[in-house]
Amino acid sequence: MPIVEVQNVSKRFALRRRRHALLSRRGLAHLLRLGEKEQFAALDGVSFTVEPGECVGIIGQNGSGKSTLLKLIAGVTLPSSGRVAVHGRVASLLELGAGFHSILTGRENIYLNAGILGMRHAQVAEVYDSIVEFSGIASFIDNPVDTYSSGMYVRLAFAVAAHVNPDLFLVDEVLAVGDEEFQRKCRRRIAEFREQGKTILFVSHDLGMVHSLCERVILLHKGKMVVRSNPQETIKYYMRLVGNPKGVHTLAKGDVEVVSNNGHMNLFYQRKELTGGQGLEGKLRAMQQDHHTSSADWEIATSGPDQCVARGRMHRLPVTHVWTIKIEGKTVIWRMGIECRNPVPIDLIEANLLISSQYTEWVYGDLSGVFPEILPEDTEWNAVVAPDVMANEAAALPREDSQLPTVLVDVKHHKPYMRLVWANTDSATGCRVLQANARVPAADEEFAAGYHDLLTFHIQLGLTREEVRRKVTEERSLKLGALTAVFEHGRIRLNYGDTLLTTLVHAYTSMLISDLWNDSINLQWGAVEREGDRLTISGYSRRFPFRQIWELEPVENGFSWRVLLEAFEPIDVQEYHASIILRQEYSRWRTDHESGIFPPFEPGVEDWRHLNHSYKPGLHITASGDEIPDVTLEADPEKGLPRMTPLNTGAGQRGRVLQALHTADTCLIHYEPGTHLYSSTRIIVKPREDS
Amino acid sequence: MAGWNYSSDRQRQVRRIFPELLRSRELLLDLVSKELRIRYRYALMGFLWAFLEPLLMTAILYFVFGIVFNFRGGATTPAMYAVSLLTGLVFWQFLSHTLGAGARSLVDNGNLVNKVLFPREVIPLSVVGVNLVNLLIGTAILLGLFLLLGGRLGAQAVWLPVLFGIELALVVGLALLLSSLNVFYRDVSYVVDVGLILAFYATPIFYDFRADVFPRLVEHPWLYYTYMMNPMVGLISSYRQVLIENQPPVLELVAIPAIQSGIALVVGAVVFRRKAGIMSDYL
Repeated sequence: MPIVEVQNVSKRFALRRRRHALLSRRGLAHLLRLGEKEQFAALDGVSFTVEPGECVGIIGQNGSGKSTLLKLIAGVTLPSSGRVAVHGRVASLLELGAGFHSILTGRENIYLNAGILGMRHAQVAEVYDSIVEFSGIASFIDNPVDTYSSGMYVRLAFAVAAHVNPDLFLVDEVLAVGDEEFQRKCRRRIAEFREQGKTILFVSHDLGMVHSLCERVILLHKGKMVVRSNPQETIKYYMRLVGNPKGVHTLAKGDVEVVSNNGHMNLFYQRKELTGGQGLEGKLRAMQQDHHTSSADWEIATSGPDQCVARGRMHRLPVTHVWTIKIEGKTVIWRMGIECRNPVPIDLIEANLLISSQYTEWVYGDLSGVFPEILPEDTEWNAVVAPDVMANEAAALPREDSQLPTVLVDVKHHKPYMRLVWANTDSATGCRVLQANARVPAADEEFAAGYHDLLTFHIQLGLTREEVRRKVTEERSLKLGALTAVFEHGRIRLNYGDTLLTTLVHAYTSMLISDLWNDSINLQWGAVEREGDRLTISGYSRRFPFRQIWELEPVENGFSWRVLLEAFEPIDVQEYHASIILRQEYSRWRTDHESGIFPPFEPGVEDWRHLNHSYKPGLHITASGDEIPDVTLEADPEKGLPRMTPLNTGAGQRGRVLQALHTADTCLIHYEPGTHLYSSTRIIVKPREDS
Repeated sequence: MAGWNYSSDRQRQVRRIFPELLRSRELLLDLVSKELRIRYRYALMGFLWAFLEPLLMTAILYFVFGIVFNFRGGATTPAMYAVSLLTGLVFWQFLSHTLGAGARSLVDNGNLVNKVLFPREVIPLSVVGVNLVNLLIGTAILLGLFLLLGGRLGAQAVWLPVLFGIELALVVGLALLLSSLNVFYRDVSYVVDVGLILAFYATPIFYDFRADVFPRLVEHPWLYYTYMMNPMVGLISSYRQVLIENQPPVLELVAIPAIQSGIALVVGAVVFRRKAGIMSDYL
């Protein structure tokens, strides 16, 4: 049964909807139903249903009847004709703090407000503690709310609203009011409701949010419903309805289609949109103010089937954006430039490519990984890649079952301080984002009058996964039968066939100097040198005067991993290790002295817990599991035997660790300037012998 | 989700008033207690005001009419004139305070009506509730004073709840009617304010119906019937009769207000319910 039924609903208002006076001509005449009333139809024959668990967006221009529709569904007003029915409890973010009175205490207001929202005392009492805790103002709860700060007031109101537990949640333009923090909380709450499978009706101007949150979009235009097949179509139609058609141009060539629409750009591959939200958009910041490209006045200057030049004149900056867009084969080339009419100080340049959350793996220079899930509590854009790594090339791979193409982006920046970052957007927008940004140094802030190139994106679509991987990893890989070892910025990722054996930071080294752990992933790594099957890479520490040189060379069933330490000044090392972090499917371990299991991960149990009892030095440590090959870390006897230690990482980040640990038993390990062989191990991977 | 079904075509049904109000009884009590708390929390003497107001009014009326004009209003002794004044005042003020605040109540709570769905009757009814509490205090003072000044409560006092029931129906009906009309025509509340001042004089409060009005108006039937249109005439006279004189009320003086109250209640409830659904369009 649908939770909301709207059947042929119209709502008309008398055109002069003023407050009459009874003793005026209009008043008495109106009361006696004399005189014709001019009417205005806010809604006209609107029909739809909403099923439980759906999230439906309502969009439309101002005055198109969106708010009236929400009011009708909330039951706050009645339709002039037609029928609205709701089966379940309704709550809306509009009701925040309804009935709050400043003289009453927080406690009294909780009961009153919840009562107005339809809760009984007994129900409020059940969640009372939880409301107080959520609000975080327990110690003020018996003070009158007029002693509260506005932040506390909103928190309390929000806490009550958050506990009403409605079946249907109505969200109006509320996200446009309140401070940043409040908006973020609202967004988080909406995402949470979405997670819990509640039904949401959502009115917003934020099309990106509507697009990512809603399965279905209802477009109202002058009180009538405009029906389109899916949210994308509806939003596109809406943008054409409100947008300036002069600023829209569609390029197409083969499988690739690009819609440049008034300062943002959506990309399609085989008719599927791979961009999310606003797609590709630029931003400039001048004098602490953000200027989005989509707020400019756009015009297509020259256009062809597979290329165009779009010009967007900004209103508040003497700048005209010039976008040159071209499709070459399966590559979209987008050049972002600006034409300054006067000298302009610009302190930030940014371009964001928002892509669908169906992309789950990222590649960034010589790094790769999996995008973290976007959680409801993510209310800001979170960088996925460490900001101190620089690369010009990045790629994203979609989920296996997705029909979206791979995306490989090569960014040419015309300003030296440009950086590229993979990030997740907030949970409301729900997209991955490749951001190119540049904080312009103060000395360069002044952009002279004339044309400036800022950025060029080469976006290559539809390569196979292998092609993408090869393009970005081939140079850095050792192919050893079924085993592939990929060097990635201070760590080695191990694949066996298609199975990834390692996790988190994979195989890496760390050294303790002056009580500070120096992980190899934090060194600054240079380019990979390759001589036949032998890889050499060196990474400099930014903290201490040394560098590590890694030498990887194939051996039978694996490879040797020699780590040389080049000290530029004398260094004292307290201890150091080479470790492999394996996936949690590894369940057993074995050293030369004993064997055991990796216990399950328990919250509360200390991170990096040692599982062995014998600390005698040894030659081998092996981990095994079901249906995965054994992994052995083998010490080089010439180098001196380390302690072979199995560990579990913490419950938060789950991995099984094999560690070859060198400790200074009596005093510090002292290195004179020069190059020293410091760790020498082999990593051997072979299928289990007994199977 | 039983109990949370909403259908727009049922909202105007008058018979839904009772189940809806029953479900919202806690909200009604909450709003009453909120109003009382707000009213008395920061007032220096708190609830004492509720005692002082009718007493001070009685004192000033007694001074003007009892002492300056040496008027008795049909009462046997000066002391009983004071009791008679207080009787009139307590029950009159219940009506006048409720209607004065009640007429404005929906407009005052506009942002609530505009945001949340709940039976709109709750808002004017909460005003009735608040004034009921004040009436309770007033009645206690009245009975106290009556007994203190040598009065004795007779058997006819059993009529008091009946009379009050009639007045309550009248007040509820009018509060519903006036509050809903005020949403659509904002001058209704001003008309009510002026009307209540006029009605104060057209109601036997500081004078007596049988002693002062009846003998003089009996020769002017037109004026007399107009005067009798005021339901409080019969009610206040009857309150005095059963309380002070321990006599059964005159049938006519109870029946006319009872019929008027019944009509007011039905008209008020129906008009209110018919308009409740679209009030938010005008707030």
